[in-house]
Amino acid sequence: MAQKKEDNGEAIAKSMFEMAKLEVPIIAIVIGEGSSGGALALGVGNKVLMLENAIYSILSPEGYSSILWKDSSRYKEAAEKMKLTAKDLYDLKIIDKIIKEPTGDEGLKKIANNLKKEIKSSISEMNMKDKRQIVEERYNKFRNM
Amino acid sequence: MIVDKIKKRNLPEKNKKIKIDIPVGKWAKCEKCKEIIYKETLRENLSVCPNCGHYFRMHINKRLESIIDKDTYKKFNINIETNNPLELEDYPKKLKSLREKTGIEEAVSAGTGKINGEEVVICVMDSGFLMGSMGIVVGEKITYAVEQAIEKRLPLIIFSASGGARMQEGIISLMQMAKTTSALTKLDKAGLLYISVLTDPTYGGVTASFASLGDIVLAEPGAMIGFAGKRVIEQTIGEQLPEGFQTAEFLLEHGFIDKIVERKDLKNTLSKLISFHKGGEK
Repeated sequence: MAQKKEDNGEAIAKSMFEMAKLEVPIIAIVIGEGSSGGALALGVGNKVLMLENAIYSILSPEGYSSILWKDSSRYKEAAEKMKLTAKDLYDLKIIDKIIKEPTGDEGLKKIANNLKKEIKSSISEMNMKDKRQIVEERYNKFRNM
Repeated sequence: MIVDKIKKRNLPEKNKKIKIDIPVGKWAKCEKCKEIIYKETLRENLSVCPNCGHYFRMHINKRLESIIDKDTYKKFNINIETNNPLELEDYPKKLKSLREKTGIEEAVSAGTGKINGEEVVICVMDSGFLMGSMGIVVGEKITYAVEQAIEKRLPLIIFSASGGARMQEGIISLMQMAKTTSALTKLDKAGLLYISVLTDPTYGGVTASFASLGDIVLAEPGAMIGFAGKRVIEQTIGEQLPEGFQTAEFLLEHGFIDKIVERKDLKNTLSKLISFHKGGEK
């Protein structure tokens, strides 16, 4: 996450604001390390998908332990506590779907196929809805968090 | 000053660091000029140091008293409690002891009131409560306030003072940014006025959501406002930041805020802005 001299708080706020208003379906996918406002700035989706081994959190475990316990070396403990795995976030209803990440031969290809399948089915599901419904459903999703 | 000397003599070495946020007894010390000030004088001066003009951080009740017409504030009746999503052992205990210490329920108070006769929905944050951080309770109260402004067709005023999203509630706190921001899109669509007032300190997820989204953004002089702290940015980009970075004055110069308003003028400025914007309403 690039931190510009001008500071990027307002940019994050404006990005979320515009996403919340869009009348087309938004699918946000967490594919690696998603953390803090930088991730959420692109995360206001009708559907939020996440790769099985990705993480999504309020802050990096280092930053979290530094703020909460004034000790960034306790990052392992922080990572355990933070509920940042796909499984945890699915249970907390923060994400809608976990995309499996098979390993071994052709692993990447299989992951890409899983993603493709999920994106396709999300789009066809949301294409049935009108603009108002799309905005309203996205609103209610975050309203209830 | 003689009082200064007496105080110094009586204090054991380890107690020298006086907490200025919640002054104890009848005296408070200005963190900038170190002057010892009679608390009553400080209160009458809207928590501004009479010696050097330094702005003390304000308690919710004092802020409401200074902005809202007497006896017109009606707090929204929302009783929600965090469910401690990360199951941290000491978090509920911490909240309980903070409530006893500060006399406030959470880091924000939200309700309706009048400013020089103009009815508004108002939210006031308090950095004395877990650094004014936003967890589910703060997010819910702000969102509810936005919805009430829409329902009652009233202008919305939010006084921000916060370190950002509340770490103790993890990702749930982060999501409050999306929740409050989404609510503001509805206020915008309804054509209602939102004035955001930034006070010291406004940081993190609060800056990166509702605090930056006012139709008009005001700030108190000298308030520190940003997303990540200065030290963190310097370490990340490996560059020195310019003098005065993240002060209200710097942000005004760079177009992030519209006006810096002195504390004593805030009430009249707000009521004027509100009455200007009533003109177009049919």
